Amino acid sequence: MGGRVASLENESPLTRIRARWFARKKQYSISRNNFVGYLFISPWLIGFFLFSLIPIAASLVLAFTDYDLLASDIQFIGLENFSRMFNEDLRYWKSVNATLRYVFFAVPLRLTFALTVAMLLNTKRRGVYLYRAAYYTPSIVGGSVAVAIMWRQIFGTDGLVNAALGLDVRWFGDPRFALWTLITLAVWQFGSPMLIFLAGLRQIPAELYEASSIDGANALQRFRRITLPMLTPIIFFNLVMQTIQNFQQFTQAFIITGGNGRPLDRTLLYPLYLYRRAFVNYEMGYASAMSWVLLLTIALLTALLFTSSRQ
Amino acid sequence: MKSLRYSLVLVLVAVLALPVAVTQGQGTIELQLTWWGSQTRHDKTIEVIELFEAEHPDIDIIYEFSNFTDYWTLLSTKAASDSLPDVMQHDYAYLAEWALRGQLMPLDDFIADGTIDVSNIAQSIIDSGKIDGQTYGLSLGSNSQAFILDVDAFAAAGLDLPSPDWTWQEFEETVLKLHEELGIWGFGTLLDDEALWKSLQIGHDRWAFSEDGTSLGYEDDQAMIDHLSMILRLQDAGAIPTIEEEIEYDTTGPEGSPLVLGKSAIQYQWSNQVLAVANAAGPDRNFKLWHLPRPEGGQPSNYVKPSMFFSIPASAEHPQEAAMFIDFFTNSMEANEILAAERGVPVSAPVREHLLPDLDPVMAETFDFLVRVEADSSPVPPPDPPGYADLRLNVYGPQFVDVVRFEEMTPEEAVQFFREEANRILAQNR
Repeated sequence: MGGRVASLENESPLTRIRARWFARKKQYSISRNNFVGYLFISPWLIGFFLFSLIPIAASLVLAFTDYDLLASDIQFIGLENFSRMFNEDLRYWKSVNATLRYVFFAVPLRLTFALTVAMLLNTKRRGVYLYRAAYYTPSIVGGSVAVAIMWRQIFGTDGLVNAALGLDVRWFGDPRFALWTLITLAVWQFGSPMLIFLAGLRQIPAELYEASSIDGANALQRFRRITLPMLTPIIFFNLVMQTIQNFQQFTQAFIITGGNGRPLDRTLLYPLYLYRRAFVNYEMGYASAMSWVLLLTIALLTALLFTSSRQ
Repeated sequence: MKSLRYSLVLVLVAVLALPVAVTQGQGTIELQLTWWGSQTRHDKTIEVIELFEAEHPDIDIIYEFSNFTDYWTLLSTKAASDSLPDVMQHDYAYLAEWALRGQLMPLDDFIADGTIDVSNIAQSIIDSGKIDGQTYGLSLGSNSQAFILDVDAFAAAGLDLPSPDWTWQEFEETVLKLHEELGIWGFGTLLDDEALWKSLQIGHDRWAFSEDGTSLGYEDDQAMIDHLSMILRLQDAGAIPTIEEEIEYDTTGPEGSPLVLGKSAIQYQWSNQVLAVANAAGPDRNFKLWHLPRPEGGQPSNYVKPSMFFSIPASAEHPQEAAMFIDFFTNSMEANEILAAERGVPVSAPVREHLLPDLDPVMAETFDFLVRVEADSSPVPPPDPPGYADLRLNVYGPQFVDVVRFEEMTPEEAVQFFREEANRILAQNR
């Protein structure tokens, strides 16, 4: 802008004045646009500050206190919550164990299903829209209480799975299988990563496939040499998002398995244990400490994923 | 256009102002009330509220209710946001904690000036709501632990009902016999419940905790080892549900328990939950409430417990009206006809006598059971020490009895582990 005005040195005063006026008006309207923009997003901004940012900051402070929700006297206790968590609390490590096992199985399985179904749906046949919607629906309804109750019926002793397979397995009671009821539910909701994969697949030029099949490549080679490399950024994106999301899995564990981690704490997912410490044990300070450990762990894991993708 | 906009605004304002104008009666006091319970309890309590509102037109009661587990989340959230109600239902297990943290208002003044009339209530029952010499809750009903016996099942198995002072040994034999004869579970779920662990100590004439609440109150773990071994034997014989089967009943509530479904002949339940169980089981079942088994040569395992209290939070806005409601709830004949002793046998003797002739068979049996227990029971134990919630929720279930029932630890190893953890957690009360 300064350059423009300088080049007008040789112009008439009137032209210079008019140029300056237009420049200032543009500056004014840019900042006015900014202000209007902020005004439009102010509801979200207010909500974000009040319901996200301030509570998050508060929980960081609370992590160093013995706040018990009944708020009679809150005292700073330094790192005591953390030392208790790591040194004395046996159930803490059981919940870490359960969560790691859950993420370790749920995320790859979910992504595998998502990619497989996305590849199957990557056709231009008529009616493929119906299948897309059908496979996406579980993702939308999956987080609900109704589905959780339905899942309890399906895996119950007299439920659908046992009846269909002619078994008498205690899916919820047997320590070997209980977590798998939750993992299965997570995998069933592969809809959103599937759609993202689908979008990624659509972007792979068809000529690559045509050229490779002319050269005699079979389906597996096409997949390994074309699809996977082209999809790498999408796979990475889905991996990161799914890992972050599944570390925070709470609702299903809370409702389906009674919210107490039974059997033998195999279904005691970290956010569930955190919730119980906060609202059942009245140890909100301890639970805040737990939640910050979770945050840092997820951040660390995400950072690791990013650095390992630098190839 | 302008006049149209003007008149629209007028209409809008009028519409918004209308409900305010209608409901804002002069001097209406809004009393807030919370409780937990089953649907049966919710319906009855709401009827009593409407009765109270009819007798006191200037008092409007706003109520909120939930199930037991969600209730404490609800109330602790209210406590944190300083929005506790005027009257809250409270539990013996939590009363001390809340009272000692200054969250509850002592009721002694209201008792002294007669707002809450306790002249017909036994002193021991009034004392059960006292912490450190001050009354923080009024008991809403008396309760005791019961084994519900399915009389028809016993008859079908060719067994007489046991004697009221039966021992755990006799219990084990009975359960095995019922399983052999009928092919169902002799006993249902919760044989490893923490309340039964405490009852075991009462039966051995001691209390689970030390007087200052800083450690366990007994040294001899043999009783618990025997109890757990019995559970394992019964589990192996198929006479009680295996732990895998029992976990499935976590989410069903009393209405879905094995006894209701005809899958067991005995069920453990607090006496005031019997009505819900009986209603769910249907009118053609025949139940009797029985004393808990006791150790060989031991004391009665039963005691008369205050089932729940009404307390007034310290932050209540209308404590006087709150006290009036509590008095009404406890002493009014009409109110108690509606409540039908669903929260436990009424604490006021005239109310009990008034209700007795019209009771349905299940409630009559419950009243009768409490009378029998009163005659043959141990004294009320002290409330649980602070920190017991942590022990109960995080150690007793998931790391102690569950582990034993999954046979990942022997009872001997497990009681040792439990003792160490219990003493570690309770030592923080020093």
